[in-house]
Amino acid sequence: MDLAYYPGCSLYQSAKLYNHQTNLVFERLGLHLQELDDWSCCGATSAGKINDFMAIALPARNLGIAEATNLPELVIPCAACYSRTKVAQKQLQDNPLLQNEINLELSRQTFGNIKVSSILEVLWREINGERFESIPLTKIEGLKAACYYGCMYTRFPYDVEVADNVENPQAMETVLKAIGVPTLDWNHKTLCCGASSVVYNTEAALDLMAKIMKDALARGANCLVVTCPMCQMNMESQQEKYCRKHGIKERMPVYFITELLGLAFGISREEIHPGGNLPPNGLEWSKMCGDSV
Amino acid sequence: MSTEEFQYSHLSAQVFTSEIMARSGQDITSCYQCKRCAAGCPVAEQTDMVTPNRLIRMVILGDIEQALTNQLTWKCLFCHTCGTRCPNNIKTGRVADTLKKMALDAGLDPQNPEYKNFHKAFFNHSLRWGKINEIGMMGEYELRNIWDTMKKRKVRKIISHMKARSQFAWEMFRQKRLHLSFHSSKGRDEISRLYKKSAGRKWI
Repeated sequence: MDLAYYPGCSLYQSAKLYNHQTNLVFERLGLHLQELDDWSCCGATSAGKINDFMAIALPARNLGIAEATNLPELVIPCAACYSRTKVAQKQLQDNPLLQNEINLELSRQTFGNIKVSSILEVLWREINGERFESIPLTKIEGLKAACYYGCMYTRFPYDVEVADNVENPQAMETVLKAIGVPTLDWNHKTLCCGASSVVYNTEAALDLMAKIMKDALARGANCLVVTCPMCQMNMESQQEKYCRKHGIKERMPVYFITELLGLAFGISREEIHPGGNLPPNGLEWSKMCGDSV
Repeated sequence: MSTEEFQYSHLSAQVFTSEIMARSGQDITSCYQCKRCAAGCPVAEQTDMVTPNRLIRMVILGDIEQALTNQLTWKCLFCHTCGTRCPNNIKTGRVADTLKKMALDAGLDPQNPEYKNFHKAFFNHSLRWGKINEIGMMGEYELRNIWDTMKKRKVRKIISHMKARSQFAWEMFRQKRLHLSFHSSKGRDEISRLYKKSAGRKWI
């Protein structure tokens, strides 16, 4: 089955690993991701802070490209892109005049008839399907996962249909249960990690991350599982900082859900996370993922 | 919440409230101060006791100065906990966002100029190239910061800031998150035509 795929900017940059893993895992599931031709930035949260019109117009262009592929569904792994695109689609539906006005400038116009899905919505559906059942599973030992969803998966700045429980989402738990990874109930699965404010309001963001970390530790988790590239970047790359600031001794890995799925599907550790056990070097790693620096 | 000099004026309260309601699309007059938003707000500890419900009260009372300059308006993370918990479906995050935009339109210096610089750098970069290149975007952000600090003639601050930033960049590189490849989209002319259309629109 073919699905339209919008990776978003961060999946080509800081969260390149996520793009790599998503493609591998979906291929294994027999879902072919067809990347949108010449997609552009969706504006994420920043566009809405400066210019309301562009916050809708930027994702509208991508929606137009996606609709032109005639595929039934558009998959967006990045939580910020997913939220932005889904909200823009609903806003366009509710505001036909605006849709007309934006369409006038687009070479591929949008009429709002493609389903926008996050990676979790697709996986949740897939684990009950035949394609998933036909894959032999490898048991992953020793993990106790705290599933961390962040803001963007269930909370939207506009009234849209939410795919999961807003306060206590279950998609990741269900998917991980299906591959035999035990999960925990915990408090802060949808608490904000500070997102981009780690750049301009660092201290406040670090406090929030420490809160999340402390609760996960108190419940006995030994890894965090996320689907949002921003959450993953914050919780992992700032870990030393926020743990030191709040006197937390333990450290834990922060996995994309695709990494655990890949391992369960029998993809080797080296293939699903190239260079994961090598001494860290950004340049080397870029090459491994098949990209000229 | 309000300063002593604040004097209630029915007319200005009404005008201000309706502008906020039109721009944010939120019916803030239906707020009955149940404080569910306050209980959930992740930044409430750092905002001088300004919680989302109080922000709404400020707007309704027409305390324009406080509404545009208080800590919550500038620290709000846009996480929408307030919006999803509100029994009247008021998305206060969007009210805070609108207030920020109004403050920037009015040329008020935000308490945290880095906030403005970050989002401007991000937005400009996405318009210019069609895709975000993190190095380019962060570069523009830092240049904007340096320019702002230069105007205030605080050279030491620039140096300490640059140090912190180069550490950040090194950390990103070490963790295999810094990529030097450059991405752009061919649809940039479509995007810039749309951007021209957006000029002068206060709300959609």
